[in-house]
Amino acid sequence: MTERPKSSHEPASAREPIVFVIDDDASMRRALTNLFQSVGLEVEVFGSAPELLQSKLPDAASCLVLDIRLPGVSGLDFQTELAKANIHIPIIFMTGHGDIPMTVRAMKGGAVDFLTKPFRDQDMLDAVVTAIERDRKRREVGKIVANLQALFETLTPREREILALVASGLMNKQIAAEVGLAEITVKIHRGHIMKKWARGR
Amino acid sequence: MTTLGELTASIAHEVNQPLAAVVANAQACLRWLDREIPDLDAARRSVEWIVNDGNRASEVIRRVRALANKTDIEKAPLDIDDLVKEVSALVQRELISHRVSLRLELAPTLPMILGDRVQLQQVMINLVMNGIEAMQSVTDRPRQLAIRSGQDETHEVLVSVTDCGVGISAENADRLFNAFFTTKSGGMGMGLSICRSIVEAHGGRLSASGNEGPGATFQFVLPVHQEDAS
Repeated sequence: MTERPKSSHEPASAREPIVFVIDDDASMRRALTNLFQSVGLEVEVFGSAPELLQSKLPDAASCLVLDIRLPGVSGLDFQTELAKANIHIPIIFMTGHGDIPMTVRAMKGGAVDFLTKPFRDQDMLDAVVTAIERDRKRREVGKIVANLQALFETLTPREREILALVASGLMNKQIAAEVGLAEITVKIHRGHIMKKWARGR
Repeated sequence: MTTLGELTASIAHEVNQPLAAVVANAQACLRWLDREIPDLDAARRSVEWIVNDGNRASEVIRRVRALANKTDIEKAPLDIDDLVKEVSALVQRELISHRVSLRLELAPTLPMILGDRVQLQQVMINLVMNGIEAMQSVTDRPRQLAIRSGQDETHEVLVSVTDCGVGISAENADRLFNAFFTTKSGGMGMGLSICRSIVEAHGGRLSASGNEGPGATFQFVLPVHQEDAS
């Protein structure tokens, strides 16, 4: 694959996808940067897990390529740490000598792939594309939920009450009876909700 | 306690890292060349990195060799029986977890030898760990390991480690001490080769033989410390 993965409905503000790499070996960081750049992917490399945590991560679909054997905290423990901190970046593990229990733990923890060094470039690139796509979907869903929440915040208490009843499938007349308003008033509230919804999109 | 197994695992890691970098840079290089308009600068840079990383891998191997043939070992007069007792304390946990019983048959008054305490401990630990592993599959007899000390006919100090495990097949006997030869699924084949280097650096010899019954015996001899030889 020499084409960068593109989503058809990507918001204009979103940055290019980015691959983060953590490896304690400088040669390996350089080689991975080289490989990802050769197919036009953006890369950022780190020598350790804390270095990544200290840097400000950009708002873009991303994935993490991680050596399982890191100085200090192990790659697997870092995976657990990220999950606890509610950071859901998809992870691709690399290892010099992987055993089955390690692989099982990594995959159970939600890893996208587990590659043995030296890896085939195509395997690595396929894993990265899968991971970025997974992250993009997760971010889209997150954005929709956030939008809905923001919209809900703009509603008055009365509008929220009525929205809940609309969502439960009641007709205007039933809602009016439920909240003790005239049907016409309910219709006006619904109109306001619709307007805010249209603006919020 | 660093066993030779851990040491070799870390050597493997040290060599594998630059090799993985070589492979990734080479693959990237091909991709730079395969572009519609080949990016020769990026390709050349990739090849330069391949050269660097290749040299680094070779440097690691050179350092390992130097380590194995290290001449500046810190030699001090040692009582080999003390060394055996120290080692048997260090491997206690491994023995228990593998249900192996250890018997020490130590000659009471051996002359001192001149050697590097840590390196000779490494040799013994490695022989004991090998013995334990060789008995892993044994279920029909007690798993017994014996360490004996003594003097041979030329009065050199001798230590042997005897197990009752799978033994040594005739075809493997010659290759046992070769680097990278192993019969273990997870082994690197470095342990015995390093052990032999250490013993030889002490002016001694390490050898292996099959037992009359099941199992194998590894034995090394070391020259007596001159001041002690009378």
